[in-house]
Amino acid sequence: MQSFEPALEPDFAENSVEQQSLSSAQEHQTDQLATSAPLGSATTFIDPNPRKLHPLVELHIDRGVFEELDRRAQRNGPWDDWTLYQMALEAEETELVTDFHDLQCVKLLPCFEPLPHQVETARKVLQDMRGRAILADEVGLGKTIEAGLILKEYLIRGLVKRALILVPASLVLQWVRELNSKFDIPAVAQKKEYSWNNDIVVASMDTAKREPNRAMLLDAEFDMLIVDEAHKLKNKRTSNYQFVNELRKKYCLLLTATPVQNDLSELYNLITLLKPGQLGGEGDFASNFVRDRRVPKNEEKLQEALSQVMIRNRRSDGGVHFTERHVTNVPLRLSPEEMALYEGVTAYVRTHAKAETGMDLTSMLSLVTLQREVCSSRDAVFLTLINLFKKTGEESPLRARIWELVALIKSIKSNTKAQKTMELVRSIDDKVIVFTEYRATQDYLLKFFKEHGLSAVPYRGGMNRGKKDWMMDLFRKRAQVMVATEAGGEGINLQFCNHIINFDLPWNPMRVEQRIGRVHRLGQSKDVRIFNLCTLGTIEEHIVHLLHEKINMFELVIGELDEIIQQLEKEEPLERRIAQMVLESADGDELRRRMDGFGEKLLGGKQRAEQETQR
Amino acid sequence: MNAKQVQKFVQAYCDSTGCHIIEKSPGRVTVKLSPDADRALTNRPYYWSFVDRTGSPPDTLTYSWFFEAPSAQDGQSSPLSYLMTPAGRIIQEGVYFGSRRLQQLFDVVRQGGRCVTLFEEPSRGMGDPLSSQPYTAWLGANFKVSFTCDMRREELHTYGISLATGVIDDKFMDRLRGRKLTPRLPANVHLLRNGLSLRKGMTQLESTMERKLKNADFAWAAEAEERRQDELARIGQYYEPLLKTEDEAQRKLFLDRFEQRQAEIDWQYRPRVTLTTINCGIFHLPGIH
Repeated sequence: MQSFEPALEPDFAENSVEQQSLSSAQEHQTDQLATSAPLGSATTFIDPNPRKLHPLVELHIDRGVFEELDRRAQRNGPWDDWTLYQMALEAEETELVTDFHDLQCVKLLPCFEPLPHQVETARKVLQDMRGRAILADEVGLGKTIEAGLILKEYLIRGLVKRALILVPASLVLQWVRELNSKFDIPAVAQKKEYSWNNDIVVASMDTAKREPNRAMLLDAEFDMLIVDEAHKLKNKRTSNYQFVNELRKKYCLLLTATPVQNDLSELYNLITLLKPGQLGGEGDFASNFVRDRRVPKNEEKLQEALSQVMIRNRRSDGGVHFTERHVTNVPLRLSPEEMALYEGVTAYVRTHAKAETGMDLTSMLSLVTLQREVCSSRDAVFLTLINLFKKTGEESPLRARIWELVALIKSIKSNTKAQKTMELVRSIDDKVIVFTEYRATQDYLLKFFKEHGLSAVPYRGGMNRGKKDWMMDLFRKRAQVMVATEAGGEGINLQFCNHIINFDLPWNPMRVEQRIGRVHRLGQSKDVRIFNLCTLGTIEEHIVHLLHEKINMFELVIGELDEIIQQLEKEEPLERRIAQMVLESADGDELRRRMDGFGEKLLGGKQRAEQETQR
Repeated sequence: MNAKQVQKFVQAYCDSTGCHIIEKSPGRVTVKLSPDADRALTNRPYYWSFVDRTGSPPDTLTYSWFFEAPSAQDGQSSPLSYLMTPAGRIIQEGVYFGSRRLQQLFDVVRQGGRCVTLFEEPSRGMGDPLSSQPYTAWLGANFKVSFTCDMRREELHTYGISLATGVIDDKFMDRLRGRKLTPRLPANVHLLRNGLSLRKGMTQLESTMERKLKNADFAWAAEAEERRQDELARIGQYYEPLLKTEDEAQRKLFLDRFEQRQAEIDWQYRPRVTLTTINCGIFHLPGIH
């Protein structure tokens, strides 16, 4: 083994000059690497004296492995294994990207199959948009998946090493999970200072823009930046916008379902963040494309300019199949005791609202809440009454009345709704999510189910992420029922379950939609069945009437509702409007009439939204 | 890579690192790792530093690897699971194209198969035991060429150069295929004097590659350059009016941003070619070439 060495020896002298210059060049190169890319960017490899292959193209030579061979040859080893040497080449052959355009990532994702529109979006972003794009699919079409595909593709091609993903705090872990499990991308959630050292970090916007993180991130270079819920960047003057604008990035994806909320200038700002000048200067944009705040002009030209940076897939484009929703209203008669309580509370609310004419809206709302709570459970209303009692002055005549109501609560022995729910769960004989608005009701139901030998787990907004995950896992593997108070705060995806019981209904259709959206989304393979419990002769009946019969919201297409509500909420929150109607109506008939009128208005909003969509 | 190829790859790795194969069936292999493989694969630096410092006998992990990829219905990569046996814990895991374990194996062999020196074994029973056969030293190098702009394409080239005469073989791995190579210098063999140093050999290989690359098609680069100019013009028309502002502080801010955007575009689009040596070695082959 030693004998080859003398054979090499004689040549070293004559080459020493060349050798020296090469090795100093090598040092120089590592210096440059250290300063120019402190965080190890994939593409900032700099050759100190690159040669020209073509007037436009420099050749960079990475000699690292040869230098090692040379070093080892001088020391006569140690040498690597021949099999591994061949396998290394085989690994390279396998991972070789032989084409500029072909999507590589799809074949590397054996365990999940992206939908055609998602693959097409990824291909467009890579090929036509050169990696800078706004992904503006409507809700539920999988923007995250598209971003994941694009990121994966760049990772495979070695064009991205370091990526930063900025999302709302509530979505951080969901993103990490998706990237890990679906794409095998080793993303980590930013938790501690050292998390930043990872190549692919998911962080909340608020954390990232706070010092000292901010300064550190602005110093770095990111091969790819992804911002989820990017409509939060619509205002130029916000710190979010400026932070993202300052970050150094190569490829960049902005994800939003609502690129325009109020004003066309929002869209302009988003695009300027991505590709300054795409829509001209600010003045050009206003004069070329804006007729009114919300109304564009030169639409064709605008559309064309937009299509170079933005992709918006719509549900109506087809290609995506959602399963159906079946809604059943379950009418109930309250027991005489429960009805007595409901009536007592209603009377109290009426007189109270009349007694204090100058009452502000907030306390009005809390009064109506009392009525809603009675429809849910006595436990829910009990707590509120006690609090109300404490708040009321000692002299107030109301105290005695409240106390009477509490006495009524004590007379109630059973919960009609809970029993009905029990029956439903038994007859469904499959996983069920029961949603309620109230913590007290949730606790009661959990206890009630337990007494009846049903395994149920809680889920609520106040739980920390770990506990939420644990509950979801328990529900998936062990429990038949999940009792949830919160559907918002995205991040619970329960496609394995296809039954929902609305123990009580939120007044905001958006929140109802969020509840259903947890279950009825891409990946749900069965039709979704929704049961609305509805106590007759109460305000609940009116709400169910409004949501179900009037605007038929349960059967709207996913996401259609967003648009309707957004149109309306510009004026006043929905819940307040309904509360006002409830308080101001003299009786049930009047309330129903006003609800109907309101429903018409909502439908009008829907038509407007449709018209805008078609444009 | 299909399941069969992956299994072959994993088997080759296990064999060459001296792992103990406990059970083997089509689609699955159960293996107790060798210390070397354990260090490379299991990410247990603390455990190994403990073993190294105390000198206690290492207890390596046992894996049961299956090669069938999970189906699309599962929706996610197959999780780890553990099997408890009287002999200890067995970790069950899927190894398939796209899985992390295979990715890690790729990285490990790239790390562990970089530099070799090998001799071809002369066929047995041939030749006069008293005579000596001449061997030529070759420098073999496997190159990866990346053509990069905002996208990337790659090529592999396996070159070799005779250090005795400077003859270049552009399919050197094919020349090696089928030969029996050993790290030991065989008996009755003498090495020819080298006319070239290793470094000179490498320089020659690189210049050969360079000549070859010069003749490549550069349409992609021209297109990328066009895009780059296009992008530069686009941000130019956005920032230049802004730079006319009177406010000096504002102007400075816009200028900074403008330069940053220009740098980003350059970084993203500027066409470039990178020549990387994946691995290289000295190969002593019989004959005078």
